[in-house]
Formats: sequence, structure tokens, C-alpha cells
Amino acid sequence: MRVWLRIFFVGGLISFRALFSWIRPSVYIPTLLLGPTTQILFFAYLGRTAHLKSDSWFVVGNAVQSASLAALFGMGFAIDGERWTQTLSAVLATPANRAALFLGRALPVLANAAVTASTGFVGGALLLGFRTPWSQVLPLALLLVLASFACTGLGMLVGAIGLRTRDVPIIANLTMAVLLIFCGVNIPLDKLPGWMSAVAEGLPMTHAIAASRRVADGASLGTVGTEMFVELGLGAAYLAVGFLLLRWFEQEGRRLGTLDRA
Amino acid sequence: MIQGARVFWVGFVLHFKNLSVSPFMMVTAAAWPLVYATLAFLMFRATHQAPSLLYAALGAAVMGIWSTTATSAGGAIQQQRWWGILELLVAAPARLILVLAPITVAIAGIGIYSIASTLLWGRLLFGVPFHVEHPLLFAIAIPAAVLSIGLLGLVLASAFVLYRSASNLSQALEYPVWLITGMLIPLSLLPGWVSPIAWSLAPTWGMRAVRRAALGGDVGTPLLLCAVLSVVYTLLAMLLLHHFERLARERATLSLT
Amino acid sequence: MAVIEAINLRRTYRTTTGVIRRKPLEVEAVRGISFAVEQGELFGLLGPNGAGKTTTIKMLITLLLPTSGEARVLGRNVVDDAREVRKRIGYVFGGDRGLYERLSAYDNLRYFAELYGVSGKAQRLRIDEVLELVGLKGRESERVEGYSRGMRQRLHIARGILHDPEVVFLDEPTIGVDPVGARDLRQTIADLVSGGKTVLLTTHYMFEADTLCDRIAVIAKGQIVGEGTPAQLKDNVAGGRVTEIEVFGIDDSVVGRLRAIQGVTAVAVEDRDQKQLLVVQTTGERELTAPLLAELDGLEVGRVDSREPTLEDAYVSLVTSE
Repeated sequence: MRVWLRIFFVGGLISFRALFSWIRPSVYIPTLLLGPTTQILFFAYLGRTAHLKSDSWFVVGNAVQSASLAALFGMGFAIDGERWTQTLSAVLATPANRAALFLGRALPVLANAAVTASTGFVGGALLLGFRTPWSQVLPLALLLVLASFACTGLGMLVGAIGLRTRDVPIIANLTMAVLLIFCGVNIPLDKLPGWMSAVAEGLPMTHAIAASRRVADGASLGTVGTEMFVELGLGAAYLAVGFLLLRWFEQEGRRLGTLDRA
Repeated sequence: MIQGARVFWVGFVLHFKNLSVSPFMMVTAAAWPLVYATLAFLMFRATHQAPSLLYAALGAAVMGIWSTTATSAGGAIQQQRWWGILELLVAAPARLILVLAPITVAIAGIGIYSIASTLLWGRLLFGVPFHVEHPLLFAIAIPAAVLSIGLLGLVLASAFVLYRSASNLSQALEYPVWLITGMLIPLSLLPGWVSPIAWSLAPTWGMRAVRRAALGGDVGTPLLLCAVLSVVYTLLAMLLLHHFERLARERATLSLT
Repeated sequence: MAVIEAINLRRTYRTTTGVIRRKPLEVEAVRGISFAVEQGELFGLLGPNGAGKTTTIKMLITLLLPTSGEARVLGRNVVDDAREVRKRIGYVFGGDRGLYERLSAYDNLRYFAELYGVSGKAQRLRIDEVLELVGLKGRESERVEGYSRGMRQRLHIARGILHDPEVVFLDEPTIGVDPVGARDLRQTIADLVSGGKTVLLTTHYMFEADTLCDRIAVIAKGQIVGEGTPAQLKDNVAGGRVTEIEVFGIDDSVVGRLRAIQGVTAVAVEDRDQKQLLVVQTTGERELTAPLLAELDGLEVGRVDSREPTLEDAYVSLVTSE
């Protein structure tokens, strides 16, 4: 157990430093901190243009989305990043429990996701007058973590596919586009064509966003139990599939000798 | 004068060609605007008080032009440096502004693919009718918009080659510029103090020219302002590039390689 | 009137040292270089890496302003008359970069032809002419990314002479090119001169300077340490002898003592796998093999050879002397 924990934390920290060593504050601040706020502003005003919903509705949707996005990209690039630095085969070759290894990388990613969402909410509060009772902050945080967890799972899947194709950026961007359109971030689910809202049910973030909007309005956590459960389940499912795919591609990569092809 | 125009045109064609064979550029130019177009279509269709879908299509198209410019133009000069071509461009007798302007204008010009893909997507998937009120003015408005946005891109490129840390801002400029230049969101919905800033940005007038040419309205004023801003940006870029050349040749604090 | 004139050129770079507390540092890359190149000459700037060759050439082609001193090309000052100079010179550098990879050779040439004012009907003709000259005719519509290093170099040369400049500057043109390709390139360069152009070449290949150049200036540490025709430079070490000794495990203190022996003008150490090759230049007045071997007593010694000096030895002695 102690070995497992050590791999989980130490592995995570080292990879975090390695991957983020190129991020200086001058890059981090504009892209990851200002980004969510500008996105929220844009869609809130677009909502006003369309006479659709309210500012708060867009604040919650986009803040949760930006957090989840950070998780998705973080995970996707954690796996692809390994390949780029050609440490992937070294990492997979270690006897360390691969689950511990890769989940350890998820930790800094989740932390980053939380920070991203918070700045979105703060921006929304300052610029659009978004308000929520203090009692709702922790429940919102929990929903954020769940959404990020579900997206981390999807990120694992994306990263695993990326291992096979050589195109993590394109797949990650495509996923991001789909999530932005389908999950009720900016378009109410009941206004989407039937097939789209059906697909949305199986995507991460959808339920968490719906729940977050209700909670931000004052609903108690108990009333969103179903959504939380679904989000957790989806995250676990994506994680499992991603993990299995990773194992399978890794074995295939070893067989064909294509693991380190950058 | 004629020779200058030739140098600009040949440069534009070469760089446009070079960009067109880059898969990354093509995906960014043709695919990403579709995401925002779809979002706009679905949002506008959700209520009955929203602007028309053609309005949304045109807006998303010009958003695409700005996207490619914001992401790529900023690093355009640095990229010539990585390719080892920058010093050849400086060593040539042609004036540096004539050599570099075509690069960023070509980047904005790739936006043509954004326009085409957005209108096609709207037509095929959302039944957006493509009806243009003033076809001739529309055909003029697009290059006018591209030119003025491309020259704004040149100002960015010249600034970023001098102040490298600033180049990180170019990504952060995407949403804000979309927001305040009236591409999808009317300026009237924004606080008053935003307007003067918007008026100093070429995308605002380029968008108006393109939209009014398609949907009706005074196209002349926005076209005139595109022209005026193009001149202003050119002068600004010349100033920045002069400073750049000095630092590179005189102090050697900026390398050309 | 000389075609290229360098008069006491100096170039200082200001950089910083340290990461946290940055201290300004001044590096003098070129410390007072003067030379002149006559019309129709193939002039070589020969020196090790970091000697200041590239800095010098960049000053002459107007990409770098001298910190002090003057330079003139075709009578025009490189600082005040930069544009006029640029119109009349060609600049070619070695290496893989400097071309638009995804475009064809023809597109690349067309672009630079326009930048250099070769336009209109003349352009097509001229591009065909230069392609013929460098031996790339028939391959101009291929993308540059598929070109070998030698082909790229030839394309660089083609680009450099599109506007038919009177003076061509070549910065390490054969670097990284295979021997056969390099030989062809050198022939092309020699043809430029026989066609009436003046060429200034920088290189660190002795053989290249020896075979190609009419005159050579040897540069080390920012200064010219020797100038003349290849024959003249060899004369400097003529009359001397070179003794080559294989040793196993030599260190600097022994090398120092060898240098101190009377009659020894230079000692160079070359690493050859597990052994080192000592190349000792002597004035040739006395037979010095015995004193040399005496210094090496205690060390394992292999082959010992004695020979006439070559241009390479002249170069080494110029470059390593202080």
C-alpha cells in the first residue's frame, strides 16, 4: 500500500514538474486564468444577444466546462507528453503499478482544474454579478471535482487513442468541440435535436453542469444525488476503458515496436 | 510603386500557398469556425428573438479569420527566424515592411477557407440561405477585411518579435476580440467605453462591411475605415520593424537566426 | 579599387551572465580585422569555429553593424548605403535551413527573384539559367523538403545569384555535404569566379581553402593571424618538419613541457579512440625526435613518423600561437 501511495504521489509530482516546467506565470496567467473569464463573458453576452437564459446560467456552464477541459487536456497530454519525451516505454516498462502511475499524474491535473473553475466563478461574480449563497460553495466544489473526474476519465481514453494514432491534439480538440456543443454548456439540452441530447447523456459534464446550475440557485446536494452518481459512474467507465485500451495498445506497441514513434 | 505592389502580391501568393499545404493551418481555419458557427446557430435557433442565422454564419466566418490571425500572425516573424529565412528577408534589398506584410495578410487570407466552410456548413446542416444583397460590395468587403485584419496581425507580429513574453497574450486575445468587435454580439449590448476600443480595431469594420454587404446597409463607411486603419497599422508596423532592425543589426540583442 | 574592403572592423556583443543576478558581459567577437579583396578574386576566410568568420561576413553583407571600423563593398559603405549594397551582393549560407520546405524549388526562386527586383519576363529566363548553372534543372518542381543537403546548397547558390550580383558571399557553403556533392559545389563556386564574379568564402576546411582560394586570411579569436596565397602560407612553415607520435594517456603538463623544448613551434593533440596523436611542429634545424621522446619517458609510445608540413599544419600553427 505504501509503495502504491508513493508511486501515486511522487510519480505525479515529478511528471507535473516535467510537463509544467515550460509554463511560466506569463503563460499560465493568460491562458489558464484569463481564459475561463473571457469565455464566460463571451457566451453570456451571446446569450443576451439571443435572448437566451441568464448570465448566471452561462457562468455556471462555462466555469464547469473550463475546469473539465483542463482535466481533459491535462490527462491527454500527460500520456502523449510521455511519448514526446520518449519516457513512455521507460515508464511502462517499470514494474510499478501502472494504475498508480497514471492516476498520480491525474492529481496535479485535478488541482489545476479546480483553480481554473474558481477563476471563472470569480470572474463571473466580478463582471456579471454572479452570486450564490456561501452554503452552496462546497457543494459546487464537489460537483466540479466530479465533472473533472469524469473528464479525466475521458482524457485517459483520449490519451490512449492518442498513443495509437499520432494525433492527440486533433482528437483532444475534437473532443473539446463536441463537449462544448453537446453537454448543455451553452445550449439548453431541451433545445438540442433529440439525438444530440441523447448523446449528451453519455458524456461527462452534462449531469454535473445541470446539477451545478440547480445548486448555484440554492438547491441542496441531496436533490442532485442522481446526477452525482451518473457523473461518477461515467468517469469510472471512461477511466476503465481508457486504461484497458492503454494496456492493449501498449502490448501491441511492444509487439510492433511502435511505442516511441514520435 | 508598381514594383512594391508586385513584391507584395508575389509574397502574398507564396505565403498563402505555403499555409494552404499546412494541415494544421487548414484544420484551424476550416474546422474551428464550424464549432462556433454551430454554437451560434443552435443558440439563435433556440429563441425567436435572436438575429438571423445568416448573421450568425457571417459572424462565425469572420471570427475564423481573426482566430487564424491571432494564433498564427503573432508568431509569423519568429517562425521565419526558426526556418532560417528571416536573415535572408532582411538581407534582401526590398523594404522589410513589403516583405513581412504579405505573411500576415496571407494568414488572414486563409480565412477565406473559414468563410467558405462556415457558409457551406450553415447551408447544408441548418438550411441557412446564402443570399447577398450587394454581391459586388461583398466581393470587395472580404479582401478589405482580410487586408486590414492581416495588417493588424503584422502589428502583433512586429510587437511580439520585440517583446517575446507578450506573444503569450495572443491566445488570450481570441475571445476578447470576438466579444468587442461585434462579430456575433452587437456593440450596443456592451458598455459604452468599449466602443472606442472596438472602433480602433480593423475586425470591427471588416465585419460590418461584410455583414452589410450581405444583409444590407451602408457599406461605404466601414470600407473607408478599413482603409484608414490599414494605413495606421502599416505605419505602426513600420515603426516597430525599424526598432527591430536596429536592435538586430546594431545591438545584436535580437538574432536574425 | 578593391571590391571588398574591411578597415579595422570590430564587433562587440553585449550579453549577460548568470541566471538570478544578471551581469552584463562584453564579448569582442571581431577585434580589428582589415583586408581587401580585388575584382575576380576568390578570397577565403579560414578559421576555427567561434573565430569571428560569420560575424565578419555578416558585417560585410549589412546584417550586422560594426561596433567600429569601416567596410565597403563595390565602393559603397555597408552602413550608410545598405540598400545599394544589398542590391549588388549575393548571400549564401550552409546548412538545411533558409528555404520554404513545403514549396517547390521554383516557387522559392520566384519569390526571392521578386525580392531582389528580378521581375517580368527576365525572371523566367533567369531562373532557368541559374537552375542550369547549379545543376538542378529538371528538379525545380519538387518540394524542397525532399532535397538532399547537397541539392539544398545548390539551390541556395542559385538563389544567391538570381539577380546576377557582382559579389557573392558564401558562409561555410559545403558544411555537412557529402564529399562528392562538396566537390561539385566547389566546382560551381569556382565557375562563378571564372564567370567574372568576386567571391568571399568562409570555411574551416583546410582542403577547401587550399584548392579553391586565390588568397586566404586566417582568422583566430577575432583577428587575422595570417594572410596570403595558399603557397605563401605554406612557406611560413616550410623548412620545418612535423613529427607525429602516438601515445597512450598524455596529459596537459607533458604537452606544456614539450612546447618548452627549443625548436618546437607547435604541439597539437588529436584523440584517436584509446590513444592520442601528438602532432609536433618543429623548425627543422635540429633533429628533435630524441628530446621529444625523452619527455615522453614513462608513457607508452606507439608509431613515430616524420614528414613535411602541409597547409593544415600552417593553419594550426597560426591558430594556436598566442
